[in-house]
Amino acid sequence: MVEIKRYSPVAFKASPKRTEVRDNWTVVLEYDGEGQAAFGQSSVNDNYLVDLSHITRFDVQSSNLDSITPFGIKIPQGLCESYLQDGVLINRMNRIQASVFCLPNKKNEMLTECKCDADCKCDPQNSSSYTETTEVGMCMAIIGKNVFSITEKLTSLDFMDSAKTTPFLYQAPMSHIPCQIITLSRDSAKSGIIFTASRGYGKDMVHAIMDAGEEFGLKPAGEDKFKSWLNNL
Amino acid sequence: MSLTITCPICGKRDGYEFRFGGEDKGPRPEEDGLTPQRWCEYVHLNECVAGVQKEWWVHKDGCGSWFTIHRDSVMNVEVATLEAHK
Repeated sequence: MVEIKRYSPVAFKASPKRTEVRDNWTVVLEYDGEGQAAFGQSSVNDNYLVDLSHITRFDVQSSNLDSITPFGIKIPQGLCESYLQDGVLINRMNRIQASVFCLPNKKNEMLTECKCDADCKCDPQNSSSYTETTEVGMCMAIIGKNVFSITEKLTSLDFMDSAKTTPFLYQAPMSHIPCQIITLSRDSAKSGIIFTASRGYGKDMVHAIMDAGEEFGLKPAGEDKFKSWLNNL
Repeated sequence: MSLTITCPICGKRDGYEFRFGGEDKGPRPEEDGLTPQRWCEYVHLNECVAGVQKEWWVHKDGCGSWFTIHRDSVMNVEVATLEAHK
C-alpha cells in the first residue's frame, strides 16, 4: 500500500517544537517560542495565529437541510447562524447548504448512539449529501485579546455587530480573499475567529495577517494552544 | 459612502463584494415563434435607464447568491423596493 502525505497550504516562519502525524497530516502541536502555558495563563495580551487546515471539514447540501443532523447535531435554521457543540461547528451558509468543521476537541464517540439505517444522514461517510472539503481549502484561527483590532486592518466587516450572537458566520472577503469567517467568541481576552478560504491563498493570507498583527505581537501557535483556548470558552 | 448592496443572505455589504449581472429583463421569451431578431434583442439590448432600474447582482466574494435589487443609476445607490415602485 502506498503511503500518502497531506500537506497544509499554510507555513509559518517559525520552527515546530512538537509535531504529530495524524491521518497523513503532519500537525504542529507547538512552535518554538510560543510558550507552553495554556492559553491565557502566560499573558493576557497573547495573540496567536493557528493553522487548522488539517481539521476535517464537510459541506452539506440538500433541499431539506432540516432532515440532516451531522454527527447527530441539528443544523441552525437562521441564515449565517453557527452552532458549536462537542467540538463540531456547523454554519448555515444559505437555504440549502451548511458547512461542518470537526474542531480538534471533537468527541469521536458521538455517532455511537445513532440509530439510523445504512443511508444514515448523520454520518458524512454514508450520506450523499456531504462533500469533504478538507483538502480544497485552508483553515486558520486567530485568537487573543486583539483579534478584532487585527481583522479591522484586513476587512470592513463588523464583527462587533450587536445584532449578532456568537458563534456566527460571515461569507465575505478578508484581505480581499473570499472567506467563510466564524466568530467564536468576542469575550475580551478570549476573543477568536476561525476562517477558511481556497487553498491557494494560504501563503499570502499568512503574510497579510502576520503583517497586520505585528503591532499586536501576533505569533504563530500550534494546535495545542487552540485546544486550550477552545476548552476555556 | 460608496455603493452598498443588500444581499438577501448576508445583509448590507460593500459594493465591491458583488458583480453586476445586467438589467432585469424579465423571463426569457417563449421558444414558440421566437425569431433570431427577438432573441438578439432580448440578449443584447438594454434600457439603460437614467434613474431607478431593476438589476441582477451576484455576491461573488460572499455567499455566491444571485438576486435582484433596484438601483438608482444616476446616484449609484440602492433604493428600497417600495421606493422603486413609486
